[in-house]
Amino acid sequence: MERTQALLNCLYQEAELLDEGRYREWLGLLAEDVRYQVPVRVTKERGPEGGVSGVMEGMCHLDEDYTSLEMRVARLETGFAWAEDPPSRLRHFVTNVRIGEPKPTPLGEEAEVRSNLLIFRSRWDRPDYTLLAAERRDVWRQVDGGWRLARRTVILDSATLPTHNLSFFF
Amino acid sequence: MARVKGGVSSRLSRMLEELQAGLEDGLVPAWIFNDPELFELEKEKIFSRSWVYLAHESEIPNPGDYVLRYVLDNPYILVRGEDGVVRALLDMCRHRGMRVCRAELGNASHFRCPFHGWTYRNDGRLIGVPAEREAFGPDFDKGQWGLVPIPRLESFDGMIFGNLDPEAPSLEEWLGDIRWYLELVTKRSPMGLEVLGPPQRWVVNTDWKLALETFLSDSYHTLMTHRSLIELGIAPKDAKYAMYGEQVHIPGKGHGSMVVGAPPGAKLPPFWGYPEEMLERARTSYPTREQFETARETRILLVTLFPNFSFHNPIRKPDHKYQGTVPMLTFRVWHPLGPGRIEIFSWALVEKDAPAWFKEKTRLSYLRFFGSSGTFEQDDTEIWSHVAHNAASTQGRHLRFNYRMGLNLAPDPNWPGPGVAYGLNFTDANMRNFHRRYLEMLLA
Repeated sequence: MERTQALLNCLYQEAELLDEGRYREWLGLLAEDVRYQVPVRVTKERGPEGGVSGVMEGMCHLDEDYTSLEMRVARLETGFAWAEDPPSRLRHFVTNVRIGEPKPTPLGEEAEVRSNLLIFRSRWDRPDYTLLAAERRDVWRQVDGGWRLARRTVILDSATLPTHNLSFFF
Repeated sequence: MARVKGGVSSRLSRMLEELQAGLEDGLVPAWIFNDPELFELEKEKIFSRSWVYLAHESEIPNPGDYVLRYVLDNPYILVRGEDGVVRALLDMCRHRGMRVCRAELGNASHFRCPFHGWTYRNDGRLIGVPAEREAFGPDFDKGQWGLVPIPRLESFDGMIFGNLDPEAPSLEEWLGDIRWYLELVTKRSPMGLEVLGPPQRWVVNTDWKLALETFLSDSYHTLMTHRSLIELGIAPKDAKYAMYGEQVHIPGKGHGSMVVGAPPGAKLPPFWGYPEEMLERARTSYPTREQFETARETRILLVTLFPNFSFHNPIRKPDHKYQGTVPMLTFRVWHPLGPGRIEIFSWALVEKDAPAWFKEKTRLSYLRFFGSSGTFEQDDTEIWSHVAHNAASTQGRHLRFNYRMGLNLAPDPNWPGPGVAYGLNFTDANMRNFHRRYLEMLLA
């Protein structure tokens, strides 16, 4: 239960950092070898394998490593990143958290963590907003007594994105 | 003009006269970027009669491969038949109009309607009607009830275009001299291009012409819109970097290109930074020596086809720490959804025979700078949506935008390519040419 609570705290703390735009602190939650992907989703017929398909390999909306995520954060700090300046008001709703059995790896103990995510986005003084729903399939790694995000795959529920850009993080 | 009088309200007629009166003086009324009545006219006069980009042939390489694409609100199945022929079939059952293809992409030998079960081969022929004899009698002719193909379908170097107008000029004639610039990417390798996956798709509350303008003519905006990348040291330090080069338009066609070179004294690699082996292939692959020489000096290339296709091929790098450069290529359809609303279809492409390491790096260059999350492009969509909002406002719609940049610039007589070229990209020449063609089609 202690581990479960620690990982839940990680997800909630992360959501707080993202909602408050504390991106440098957010980078501190990431493993240096992090892989962060948002694959393109397409509408496909139900295949013989069943389930919900259409997660494309290869083409993504985001396919990031630590360096490129840091680049995106540094961009937001330039004062000229108009897509988020003024910043969007974002709210990350994290639910349905499922935590897998931790496994030892050469880099530390790793646990699969799945969560559902709803992002509310509001910009300027407009009353309209956009919503993005997704499942996050994460791997968190225990390093020096804390957990770091080592891998994230965001399974979007939209084939065509209902928002004008992805200038934020999932 | 008779059709105009018949189909256009006096309000819209007055507005088009205003556009016509101001254009040569570099004045374009804001209202053209978000007006419901004008949008209806654009649907009829522009998009129902123009060659619209649908797909790249590498998206459907094998028999039965299909992708679903749209011309206006018409869904078309782009499918390669067992005979290898690519067709565009209206995704609408001939019996009661249900969609027969319910996925964006896949492989199918036939399409079956889920309503009453009418079944079509992937060449569009109707091959199955449940209880055919009992329901429709012995004389029912299935040959009359196949899926309806798009009136015209033609391709250029793997780029597949459709046209709703059976009387439209050929694609070759439509493209005209812009082909020389298209070939700078389609013929860079004898193997041609391939897509790096399906398109990213997203919706922006803006006008298709505003999006298009950025890729057709607007080097000027890079100064400010993309300043964050200059600050980060990713875009060249000379904030006016996109000014150096040629802006070219094709009179009478509406198409345009920007061929940007290196700022004076800048140490940028030739040929966009493509690998040496690709440069060697290009030497013999390009149809003319002029195209090769032009390509060798190019760092950023944009081509926009009237009405709503663009490609962008800039020098780039996969991230700000990467030593060296990796160019990227994106194809665009600015798909009109309604007044002040578009859907962007954005593909990344690469030469089929590019080295594997390059394909992966160019994919990352694309993803991190352009497309739905691109650090360049996300600022464009932010700005386009506000401009479109203002263009529909009761006061703002009466403003006239300043398209006077480069109005007194003389054409460059030494440019080796076709079209009217200017030796400076800070000009609205391509945009004025676009609007001439736009107006001509609206009034035709």
